[in-house]
Amino acid sequence: MAFVKNKVNLPANDGMPAAQGCLADMLKQLSAPESGARRAAVRDLAAYPEAAMALCDRLEVEGSLSVRSVIMNSLIHAGTTEVASRLVSHLRSDDAQLRNAAIEALQEMPDAVAPHMRDLLADDDSDIRIFAVNILAALRHKRAPEWLAEVIRSDSHVNVCAAAVDGLIEVGGADVIPDLEALERRFADVSFMRFAIEAAIRRIRGE
Amino acid sequence: MMAQPATTKTKDAAPAMTDEEYAKFCEFFYRKTGIQFQFNKKYYVDRRIAERIEKTNSESFRDYFIMVRFQVSGEELQILVNSMTVNETYFFREEYQFDALVTGMLPSIAKTKPRRDPIRIWSVPCSSGEEPYSIAINILEHWDQSDAWNIEIHASDIDSKILNEARAGIYGERSLSRVSPSIRQKYFSRKPDGSHQICDALRDSIDFSLVNIVDPIQTRRFRNIDVIFCRNLLIYFDDTGRREAAELFFDVLAPGGYVCLGHSESMSRMSSIFLPRKFKDTIVYQKPLSPE
Repeated sequence: MAFVKNKVNLPANDGMPAAQGCLADMLKQLSAPESGARRAAVRDLAAYPEAAMALCDRLEVEGSLSVRSVIMNSLIHAGTTEVASRLVSHLRSDDAQLRNAAIEALQEMPDAVAPHMRDLLADDDSDIRIFAVNILAALRHKRAPEWLAEVIRSDSHVNVCAAAVDGLIEVGGADVIPDLEALERRFADVSFMRFAIEAAIRRIRGE
Repeated sequence: MMAQPATTKTKDAAPAMTDEEYAKFCEFFYRKTGIQFQFNKKYYVDRRIAERIEKTNSESFRDYFIMVRFQVSGEELQILVNSMTVNETYFFREEYQFDALVTGMLPSIAKTKPRRDPIRIWSVPCSSGEEPYSIAINILEHWDQSDAWNIEIHASDIDSKILNEARAGIYGERSLSRVSPSIRQKYFSRKPDGSHQICDALRDSIDFSLVNIVDPIQTRRFRNIDVIFCRNLLIYFDDTGRREAAELFFDVLAPGGYVCLGHSESMSRMSSIFLPRKFKDTIVYQKPLSPE
C-alpha cells in the first residue's frame, strides 16, 4: 500500500497567537531576503492595526507578487482612510500589476475610499478618472450609482464616460436612463458609445 | 426607526428571525466560517435556526444567538455549522481532475521531489469522504509509481458530524453510482442493510480532521502540501474570503504544489499569485517552484 497515515504536526505554539515576537522584530522581517519570511511577517502584522503604514511603505518597494498580494489583503482588513489614501497613490504607478491590485483592494474598502472619490473623479488625468470609475463599478457603497451618473452627466472624456456606462450596467437603476439618453445625444457621432449606451439601457430595463 | 421585536419560536412557518436579526446572524456566521448567506437564503437559514431554537429550548432568536456567541465550549456553534453546510457529493465526482492528478500532477511532482519525502494531498472540504477515497482509489489504480512513494492523504471539513461519516466510510447506492463493479469488489464490502463500506486499509490510511479554513490557528498545522483539492467551497465565500483562501493555499503548498478547484471556480478571479496549468481536460493552479 502506498499510503501512510501521518497526523499533521501541530506546532509547539498551537492555540497561541501567531505573533509572539515584538512588533519591532516583525517589522524588521518585512525586509527579510526570503519572500516566504516577508509573507509570514505580513501575516503576523495583520493583527497589529498600528503596522498598517509600515505595510504601505513595504508595498512601495516590494517586488514579489505573492508578498504584495498578502500585503493587499492585510490592508483591506485595516480598511482605514489613511490606507485607502496610500493605495490611491498607486493608481498613478507605472506598474500595471500594482495599479490593478490597488484598484481591486480599493473596491473592497467602500467606506475608506468614499472620501477620496470626489477628488479622483475630478482628477486632471483621464486615466485616474477611469480607474476611479472602475473602482465604483464594483464598490459596495450606496452612493456608487449616483457618482457614476454624475460622471456621465459632467465628464467630457469619452473613455471615462464609456467606463461609467459599463459600471452603470452593473449597478444602475431605471433612474439613470434619462442621463444615459442625454449622454447618447452628447456623443451622437461616436458609434461605439451609441452601441454601449443602448445595450446598457436594454440591460437596465431587463429587456 | 424602531427595531422590530425579536420573534419567538412557533410551530408553524413563522420566521425565527427578523430581517435585522438575519443580517446580524449572517455577519456573525461569516466571521466565524467564511460562509456568506445572501438575503435569498433567508428561508434556508431561518428553518435551521428555528430547529435549533426549539431543540435548545431557547425562548427566542435573541436568547439562542446569545448562547451561540458566548458558549465557552462552542458546541452549539458547531452544531449550527453542521446543519448549515451542504454535503451532497459522490464518488469520482469531476473525475477528470483525478485523471489529471495521476497523469499530470503526481508525475510532475515526482520529478522534483526527493524520494524520501512524502507526497501530501489535502482534500478540503472532504464532506462524507467520497473525495479523499476517490483520490486514493485513483492513485492505486492509475499511478504506476504509487508503490515507490509514501503518500499522505489528509481530509478536513468544518462539519464534525459529516467527518464521523467520512471516517466510517459507509455509503448508499447513490454515492456509488459512478463506481464500477470491479472497483466495488476491490475496495468495498457490502453490509447486510445493502450499504457499502470502504475497506479498512483505505479508511485507516486517511487522516481526517476538523478544520475551519478561515481559522489561521487550525490551518497552520498544514504545510508542504503537494496537491489541494478544494472544490465547490469557495462559491460560498465573498471576494475577500476567496482572496484569503488563496493566500492560505499559497502558504500551505510546497513550492510547485497544485490547487484543484471546482469546475465553476477560477483562481484567476481571486488571485494572481498562482500559475494556471492545463492537464488534459482541466486547469489547475500551481504555486511557483522557485521563490520570486
